[in-house]
Amino acid sequence: MPSPDKRPSPVRRLTRCALLTAIALTIFMAEAQLPAPVPIPGVKLGLSNIVTLYAVYVLGPGDALMILLSRVFLGAVFSGQMMTLLYSLGGGLSCWLILLVLRRPLDLNHMWLSSPISAIFHNLGQLLVAAAVMKTWAVLAYLPYLILAGVCSGLLTGMAAQALTRRLGRR
Amino acid sequence: MTKGVKIALAFLVGAVLAACAWLFLRPAPGGSVAVVKQDGVVLQEIDLDKLEEPMMFTVKGDNGILNTVVAEHGRIRVKDATCPDQICVHQGWISQPGKPIVCLPNKLIIEIRGEGGELDAVS
Amino acid sequence: MTPKFFKRLTGTALALTLLLTGCAPAPEPVSRDLFAMGTFLSLSAYGGQAQPAVDRAADLVTQLDNQLSVTREGSEIWAVNEAQGAWTQVSQRTFDLIRDALELCRVTDGALDITTYPAVRAWGFTTDEHRVPSPEELAGLAARIDYTAVELDPATHSVRLPEGMMLDLGAVAKGWAGDQLSALMEEDGISSAMLYLGGNIQTVGAKPDGSNWKVGIQDPSGPEGASLAAVEVSDQAVVTSGGYQRFFEQDGQVYWHIMDPDTAAPARSGVLSATIVGGRGLTCDALSTALFVMGADRAARLWRDHPELEFEYVLVLEDGSLQISQGLEQGFKLLSPYQDRKVTVISHDERG
Repeated sequence: MPSPDKRPSPVRRLTRCALLTAIALTIFMAEAQLPAPVPIPGVKLGLSNIVTLYAVYVLGPGDALMILLSRVFLGAVFSGQMMTLLYSLGGGLSCWLILLVLRRPLDLNHMWLSSPISAIFHNLGQLLVAAAVMKTWAVLAYLPYLILAGVCSGLLTGMAAQALTRRLGRR
Repeated sequence: MTKGVKIALAFLVGAVLAACAWLFLRPAPGGSVAVVKQDGVVLQEIDLDKLEEPMMFTVKGDNGILNTVVAEHGRIRVKDATCPDQICVHQGWISQPGKPIVCLPNKLIIEIRGEGGELDAVS
Repeated sequence: MTPKFFKRLTGTALALTLLLTGCAPAPEPVSRDLFAMGTFLSLSAYGGQAQPAVDRAADLVTQLDNQLSVTREGSEIWAVNEAQGAWTQVSQRTFDLIRDALELCRVTDGALDITTYPAVRAWGFTTDEHRVPSPEELAGLAARIDYTAVELDPATHSVRLPEGMMLDLGAVAKGWAGDQLSALMEEDGISSAMLYLGGNIQTVGAKPDGSNWKVGIQDPSGPEGASLAAVEVSDQAVVTSGGYQRFFEQDGQVYWHIMDPDTAAPARSGVLSATIVGGRGLTCDALSTALFVMGADRAARLWRDHPELEFEYVLVLEDGSLQISQGLEQGFKLLSPYQDRKVTVISHDERG
C-alpha cells in the first residue's frame, strides 16, 4: 500500500510555482492595458493577486511569496519601468501579508471574503508607495476610490479563485 | 459563521461604507471660494457663493500699505488701496479662477479656487 | 451563499470594476507661488515628478530674476547700465537673451525697443511717483531710445551702451523665463504644466486629460476683469500686453506704461491690448509689446511678412472690436456676454 505522500515532489512544486508565476505575469501585463483607476502612474488594479491568493491558500505562504517576488521583478523587467516595481512590490507584499493573517480564520470557502480585504490592503500598499515617491500625503485622497475599486476587483478575483480551487481540488 | 468571518465581514462592509460616505460627503467642488493670501500665508477663505451680504475688510502690509477688499455674492475685488500703482484696484472684480488680483507692494494675492470653470488661466 | 448569488455578485463586481477605472477625480497639480521678476508667479505641474520639477523651476526663476533685474544692484543688467559706455561682460545666457531681443527689435522695426527704460522711469512707473514729463524732456528721452546703439561682442559676450542710455529687459524677460522653465520641466519629464508668470502664460503639453488649455483674454475696458475671449493652446505661450495693465490718470487723461520708442510717451495706436500665441515665450512677450505700439495695420503686415516668427495674434481695438490672425480661427472663441463683438480675421492674402 503506497503511503500517501502529501508533499509534492520538488520538481512538481517548482513546476507549479513557475506555472503560477507565468499566469500571474500574464494577468499583470494584461491589466497594464486597462486605464488606471487613479491618475497616479504605476497604480494598478491588482488582478494578478488572484494568483497570490490561490498560492497562499493552496501552496502556503512561502511559495506564494516566491511566486509574488518573481512576478514583481519579471513584470518590471518586461514592462520596462522601474516605477512599476515599487508599486507592485508595495501592493503585492501588503496583499500577501494580510493574507497570512486571514488564511486561518477565513478558510478556502471564504476566499470571496479574504480577497476583497487583501485587495484593499494591496491598494493601501500602493498608495503608501505613491506617497513616498511623490513626497506628499495628498495622494491618500484617492483611498476611497481605491477601496471601492479594490473591493470590486477583489470580490471578482476572490470568487474566481474560490471556484477554481474547488474545481482543481487541493493537491 | 465563525467569529473570524464575522469580524472580516464587518471590516469589509465598514470600509466600503466609509469610502462611500467620504465620497458623498466631501465638499462639493465648483463652489467659488476666494482665497486671500499675504506673502504666502492664507488670511481668509471666503465662500463667495454663500455670501448674502457684501463684506469688506482691510489688509495691512509691513510697509503700511492698506488694501480695502470687498467681497460680494460671487465676486471679490480690491476697492481701495494706498499703494502707488493701484494695479490691484484697476483689476476690478474677479469671479472665476484663472486670474488673481495682485498687490505687489503688499504681497497680497486674491484668487478664486475651484474647478476652473471655463478657463484655466487668463493672460 | 448560493452559486446563483455568487454569479450575480461576480457580474456586479465586474461591471463596477470596469466602471470605476474611468471614474477617478482629476489630478491635483503641484503648485508653487512666488514673487519674482517684479510680479506674482504661480507654477503648476502635473505628474509624478511634479514637486521636484516645480521646486527646480522656482529656484531657476529666482536666479534669472537676480541676473536680469534692472533695479537690483549687482544684477547683470544693472552692471551694463552702470558702465555707461564701457564694455560689460555678462553671462552667456544673458548675452543670448539680449542678442535675441535685439533681433526682435529689428524685425519689428523698432516698435519693440529694449532701451526705453529712461522714459518709463521719467513717467514715474518705476518710482511710483507718476508725472507727465514736458515735451522738451520727452524729446530728449526719445533721442536716447535707440536699440541700434547697443553693441554686442560675441567673443567675450560683452555688451556696450552709449552714455545716457539704459537697457531693460522687462518686455521680454518673463517670456524668455517661460521658455527656460518649460525646457526645465520637459527635462524633468513633466508632460503637463501651466506656468503663470505675472500674466504671461506658458504651457507645457496639454492638460492631464489631453485636452487643450483654455486661456482667457481679459477685457481691457471692463471694470469686471472679465475675459472677453478664450484661446485653446497646448505647448504654447500666451502673452498679453495692454495699457490697462499699468496706468495712471492725471487731469482726465490716462497714461500707461507701454512706451512708443519714437515719442518716449505712452503708445497710442488704437490698440487696447495685444495677445500673442506662439511656441516661443520670448517671441510672444516681445511681440505683444511691439504690436501694441504698432497698431493694427503694421501688426497685420508684420504677421504676413514674417511667418518664420511663428505666432498668431489677437488685438482688441479702441472701438471694442477684435482682430485675429487666421491661424487662430480654430482655437478662438468669444465668451459671453461679448458674443456680439465684431471679429475680423486677418488672412495671409492682403486683400482678404
